[in-house]
Amino acid sequence: MDWTIFSFLLADGLQNGTIYALLALCLVLVFAVTRVILVPLGELLMFAPLSYALLLQGQFPGTAWLSAAMLVAWALLDRNRLRLALALLLLAGVVLGLAYWGSHGAPGWVAWLLAVLIVLPMGPATYRLFFEPLPHGTVLVYLILAVGLHFVYQGLGLVFFGPEQYRPPALLSGEASLGTVPLPRQVFVVYAFAFLAMLGLYLFFTRSLYGKALRACAVNRLGARISGINPSEAGRVAFLLATAIAAVSGMLIAPLVNAAYFMGFLLGLKGFVAGILGGLISYPMAVGGALVVGLLESYSSFTASAYKEAIVFALLLPVLFWRSLRTLELGGEEE
Amino acid sequence: MKRWFFLLVAALGLALSQQPAPLKIGVVVSATGPAASLGIPEKNTFLLLEEEANKRGVAGHRVQFIILDDASDTTQAVRSTRKLIQEDGVLAIIGTTTTPASLGMIDVVAEAKVPMISLAASKAIIAPVDAKRTWVFKTPQTEELMARAIVADMKERGVKSVAYIGFNDAYGEGWWTFFSQEAKEGGINVVASERYARTDTSVTGQILKIIAARPDAVLVGASGTPAVLPQRTLNERGYKGLIYQTHGVANPDFLRVGGKDVEGTLLPAGPILVAEQLPAGFPSKRPSLDYITRYETKFGIGSYSTFGAHAYDAWLILRPALERALKNASPDNLAAFRAALRDELEATKNVVASHGVFSFSKEDHLGLRFQDTAVMVQVQNGRWKLVRTFR
Amino acid sequence: MRPLLLVLLALLLLAPLFLPPFYITLLNFVAFGSLVALGLYLLTGMAGMTSFGQAAFMGLAAYATALLTTKMGLSPWLTLPIGLLFAGVGALVLGGLTVRLKGHYLPLSTIAWQMALFIVLGSWTALTGGHTGLPDLPAVSIMGFSFRTEDSFYYLSWAFALLAAWGAANLTGSRVGRALRALRGDAVAAASFGVHPPSLKLQVFLLAALLAGLAGWLYAHFLRFVNPSPFGLEASIKYLIMAVVGGIGSIPGVFLGASLITGLEEWLKDILPKVFGRTGNYEVIAYGLVLVVILILAPRGLWPFLERYLPHPTPRRPQGMGLPARQVQGLEVPKGEVILEVERLSKAFGGLLAVCDLSFQLRRGEVLGLIGPNGAGKSTCFNLITGVHAPTKGQVRFKGQAISGLAPFTVHEKGIGRTFQHPHLFPEMTVLENAALGTYARTRAGMLSCLLGTNRREEAAALSEAYRALERVGLAELAHHKAGGLALGQQRLLEIARALASSPEVLLLDEPAAGLRAAEKLELARLIRRLAAEGITVLLVDHDMDLVMGLVDRVVVMHYGEKLAEGTPREVQKNPKVIEAYLGQEVA
Repeated sequence: MDWTIFSFLLADGLQNGTIYALLALCLVLVFAVTRVILVPLGELLMFAPLSYALLLQGQFPGTAWLSAAMLVAWALLDRNRLRLALALLLLAGVVLGLAYWGSHGAPGWVAWLLAVLIVLPMGPATYRLFFEPLPHGTVLVYLILAVGLHFVYQGLGLVFFGPEQYRPPALLSGEASLGTVPLPRQVFVVYAFAFLAMLGLYLFFTRSLYGKALRACAVNRLGARISGINPSEAGRVAFLLATAIAAVSGMLIAPLVNAAYFMGFLLGLKGFVAGILGGLISYPMAVGGALVVGLLESYSSFTASAYKEAIVFALLLPVLFWRSLRTLELGGEEE
Repeated sequence: MKRWFFLLVAALGLALSQQPAPLKIGVVVSATGPAASLGIPEKNTFLLLEEEANKRGVAGHRVQFIILDDASDTTQAVRSTRKLIQEDGVLAIIGTTTTPASLGMIDVVAEAKVPMISLAASKAIIAPVDAKRTWVFKTPQTEELMARAIVADMKERGVKSVAYIGFNDAYGEGWWTFFSQEAKEGGINVVASERYARTDTSVTGQILKIIAARPDAVLVGASGTPAVLPQRTLNERGYKGLIYQTHGVANPDFLRVGGKDVEGTLLPAGPILVAEQLPAGFPSKRPSLDYITRYETKFGIGSYSTFGAHAYDAWLILRPALERALKNASPDNLAAFRAALRDELEATKNVVASHGVFSFSKEDHLGLRFQDTAVMVQVQNGRWKLVRTFR
Repeated sequence: MRPLLLVLLALLLLAPLFLPPFYITLLNFVAFGSLVALGLYLLTGMAGMTSFGQAAFMGLAAYATALLTTKMGLSPWLTLPIGLLFAGVGALVLGGLTVRLKGHYLPLSTIAWQMALFIVLGSWTALTGGHTGLPDLPAVSIMGFSFRTEDSFYYLSWAFALLAAWGAANLTGSRVGRALRALRGDAVAAASFGVHPPSLKLQVFLLAALLAGLAGWLYAHFLRFVNPSPFGLEASIKYLIMAVVGGIGSIPGVFLGASLITGLEEWLKDILPKVFGRTGNYEVIAYGLVLVVILILAPRGLWPFLERYLPHPTPRRPQGMGLPARQVQGLEVPKGEVILEVERLSKAFGGLLAVCDLSFQLRRGEVLGLIGPNGAGKSTCFNLITGVHAPTKGQVRFKGQAISGLAPFTVHEKGIGRTFQHPHLFPEMTVLENAALGTYARTRAGMLSCLLGTNRREEAAALSEAYRALERVGLAELAHHKAGGLALGQQRLLEIARALASSPEVLLLDEPAAGLRAAEKLELARLIRRLAAEGITVLLVDHDMDLVMGLVDRVVVMHYGEKLAEGTPREVQKNPKVIEAYLGQEVA
């Protein structure tokens, strides 16, 4: 392996690692507030660019129907709060209208925004419809629930978008060179976004009162309620934030790696791995973990590509062991 | 008035009940999961065929395809096969899309003595024809046949060294096994063998390794749109040699997603891919155009796939076999009919289908002649262009 | 419950006679799934370790048998123990690493080796046949009879499944079962009465892997074909789903879950094309929705719903003599002599000095009170004595032997029992089971003995011993209630009962009277006096001065981690430094 190859692999590892980092941020965010491991995050990541691809082709994306349906279901569940219900119904109509506009000749950049907006309501609606009815679930039950949702969303992905990939146009096309390595310009947008997201989440959750209030809900739900924090609202906000980051991430990375209905799960899994390396609590560490996973993957794809995943996961074990030793002794955990 | 009405209904009922029971054919395909891009057109083809077959019937019987999805999973495929045989009492099984699942089904059909026509690639499904595989036939070309086509083409273009990058699953593995064999026999040196997963977002490491080995050509053993990734990476890294793909990419989405990156790709394909461009005497030209027209009428222009055509071919073989079997045996005696059907299938001779001309025999349950079943195609200006046949 | 069980067994036995063959095929798959889910019941439901890797163990055993039967022609009956051996060795190696991980790291490590194993199975083509798989496995046969059809194999797989269920049921109602459930809830408390967490965790991990391995062997010889796809992450997740949906906390639950999920998959394939037409592929979506709905309505699984409608057997009062007297370890200390000694004990947590240079002695047969304002370091002192923390400086000696720095379960085995400031009970277990936990260190039955049910006599003795302890504290009528329903005072009494069941020489009580009403406190004082009269040495911490002063023989007063004063209650009450510490300088 010479220097050129080394630097190419480095760039590749950083790119993949950044994708995992974005997912890790969302997973940590959701877990830190609701104790839900959001398995369907991968699908939410892919829905936005896939919807965008369909809009550009002049087709009405099925995700708009899904989004609207979820909003209507939410309105039905909260029908005794009339104003909220009406607002949700209105929002459902707006989503459908936006999708109609996007598929009937809206300019490219507008369609870009519309794709994100169409997918956005699915986040808080997911929380409201599926997780809020179960406020005292264990982490394991939430996890299996999330797996069930993953089946639903992935199955719907196949129905809406078909089995093949799509390649939406990039925001920045062309390449730029970093040293000897040519990189697509789009990748810099991804890096910038990841950095901002990490910084933003870190500051929000450690410095702002609202962010701390959100974290309190996961630590002690009853205590949070007594302190005047609404855990349900916290959950919806967390899901909304996570979906927003995921949707934008998906839009940014799809031109680089293509989007397909089945690609989200494994990306989410690796993001989950990174998140755990950060203890599911620290954003900078999650990002660090993600970069480590990305780099490991890149270098093992060069040395032994058939066993690449096996190497990455096997090397994880000693790292986990080391991380685990550094947490407290006996009596640390609930579940 | 009421009395007439009831009498009419009774008469109709009597007449309808005299109709012979439908011929039940079990179908197992991977309509979801990793092999969905192959399985969905296969499933659609059966829906189309059922509709059409029932316009005229098969020897006075209606046909019923009972279609089950195995989600590209072996356990599901085996369960579905058992269900079709035990619950639905089917006369034959067609399926499934992927090699490992088909292999898993062999034991079930052999035990139950039900004939099976597989839609999967590997030679291991039908060869050698032993006590179990005597019940198993298949329609898609084996990787061996297609690999032979590639090697023949490579030799003509003076390729001396080749690198391989394929899926980390049964498809990529099967291709590697047979291609490396054919390449060795053809005197071509294989300098690298890399793998990647369908869900991978980058193959930089693998491509760098391949480029370092400086091969004259690279073969990508993948299917569907994920096959674009290695090719695009090769172009980005400045690879100037020949790039071959397998027939797994023979669908319009590959061209759509690949765009400029896949210009100039060479691939072996069943003749149906370039049906209109086939020379006049080519046996599969008519059945191919036939199928394309009918499929596109129902499912839209440009929607046909060469994989759906394997399903069509299976019916082109099964239908006459059914007709012959019905002359001497009755579906009411299930065991005897299935055995008779198997014998008639094995007796299939010179069935001109979309992927070639099928002639089964006791030793050969694929029955395709190389010259009729493989052509070399190249992507030119975003379209499939026939560049040579092997006749 | 018994007659119901017999009816069910009869139905199972006769099923091939009246069910269509495809249902028998499905029941075979239900048996395989139940075996793996049973392992999850033990691993996750009882011991609280979530594993996403059970399918990998299935795969290890399945491939072992596939390779050995096809390439070396061994008989499947021979490859069964070998396959289990492979799964077991895999479990020991991976488990040795995994069970020491805390919190979220544990499930993640199971994902890690599940994925790694799956890829190795698929990519090591030369050995495993790669993704294409290994065909033509032989059928299992006994004396010429071949288990080829689904009917015959059905009996084989259900024989194994029921055997495993029987073993798991034995385990549940045994000392090891109680210890596992204790581990899950509260490792600290579990260690305080003699449970060795790491070794027990590894044992249950191994057991779960063996069950999965058995399922793998059965699967391989039912399909007579193996390839990697049934042994991947999706499969592991499916088994976890089976267990959770049915009810991961009970044996009938996991069988119910396996049946439900297997049946659901088939039922959806039948129903959906009729409702939505055949062009769609909606089974996966419907499957996910059903899962979601079930979990929202029944988060603890479906079995707890059904269980309510079943007749419950009235629990019997444990009979018998109780356990043989506990062997006294070490020296026999005569009454009045020093039995426990704390010498210059110090403990620093980072910069905070919780206990500083503390020394006192506890004499055999006395009741010693340890008092002091909040934050004085009393609970920390207890933790130092019982081994929860190791001291920064100084020593704790029990009967002359140094015990500071030893693990809590070792300290307990020497004869020291304790209660906690906040009751560390296990709300899901009954009062009797909680008390029986105290007998853990006095009983010997290991995992194997508990599985096979050869520990009946010891178990009966342990339960009657626990019952006697309950009688001593006055909780005997509540013996079969769930501990979660007890009031605070009763919880404290239960903790004492548990400690008593271990027949300790020294009993450390941490604020036993906190939260009790006056009448309850009187009862407690009488109880402690009785215990002292019976020869148990008591070290007591509490804030209720009236209680303490009227009860103890001597008092040690702590303040900011140091010993402030020592003496009889009367002496200490008059000590000016003590008064100043509690009430401030002026009053002195």
